[in-house]
Amino acid sequence: MINPLTLENRTILVTGASSGIGRATARLLSQLGATIVAVGRNANRLQETTDSLEGSGHHAMVFDLADLDAIPGWIAKVVEQGGPLDGLVHSAGIGSLAPLRVLGMAEVEQVMRVNYFSAVALTKEFARKRIHRQTASIVLISSVAGVVGAAGRTAYSASKGALAAFARSAALELASAGLRVNCIAPAYVRTEMYEATRGSLTDEQLNALVAAQPLGLGEPLDVAYAVAFLLAGTGRWITGAVLPVDGGYTAQ
Amino acid sequence: MDLNAFCAKLDEALDVPPGTVRPDQALDQLEGWDSVAVLAFIAMADTEYGVSVPAKDIPECRTINDLANLILRQKA
Repeated sequence: MINPLTLENRTILVTGASSGIGRATARLLSQLGATIVAVGRNANRLQETTDSLEGSGHHAMVFDLADLDAIPGWIAKVVEQGGPLDGLVHSAGIGSLAPLRVLGMAEVEQVMRVNYFSAVALTKEFARKRIHRQTASIVLISSVAGVVGAAGRTAYSASKGALAAFARSAALELASAGLRVNCIAPAYVRTEMYEATRGSLTDEQLNALVAAQPLGLGEPLDVAYAVAFLLAGTGRWITGAVLPVDGGYTAQ
Repeated sequence: MDLNAFCAKLDEALDVPPGTVRPDQALDQLEGWDSVAVLAFIAMADTEYGVSVPAKDIPECRTINDLANLILRQKA
């Protein structure tokens, strides 16, 4: 029997690992044999993630990706401690639900910084020869909001669309170096971010949202499976793609 | 909570001329009170007052005063 999804002997850095999609991804990748470097802002919640990982040798790194200037030095330290990386999953992100007339520029900047600029800084460092292994793979968690629009979502949509556009160009630029860069565009998934959004919507609006997803509300593991597929040997001929994992939302 | 300041902030959130929003005003008579305005109110409550107003409580509100009370209730 073979397991084409095996990630044995691979070290994978997962941002946003203290909750939601990042946490489910870290867990699944560990079950597929990977060694995880779990990154998050909250030490306690990050510890909960690493405690739930399968196997040993995983690391928890408390780090705030909004501190862009600190990323190069921090990545160098990660590699010093755990060896070169085989994969990067960027799942860290913040939501934003504010119509333009009340949208502050500080919020726009913060959303771009955490969701997008951090991905640029991480990819830039990951692409350095001593940081990654011969063939390595990057998966950025974008969103269907980066593909289709929604009122009140301008800042969030722009940051997620930027990730997708960035992934395409980075894929072309880094292909000769043996690096693949892909995006996943999930629709609504049962995460802490979804719970927060839920509060800002009436039951009617919420029901309409879920009804727009033919396969219903997603689970974090549904996205994690797609991440694993892109990271493992199964994804070796895929780069620059934006994979919808959205229960059919964008098929309409 | 300073009700006048609250009304002024709602003027801005609803993009209506200053002085349009008054505490006793009925929401169903208020120009521009639509689904985007509801999102704007929720976002404003978060940034200006630091509270998450549950959207499901908004349909019960009849007046601007009720909206203010919604924020006060979350703050309590």
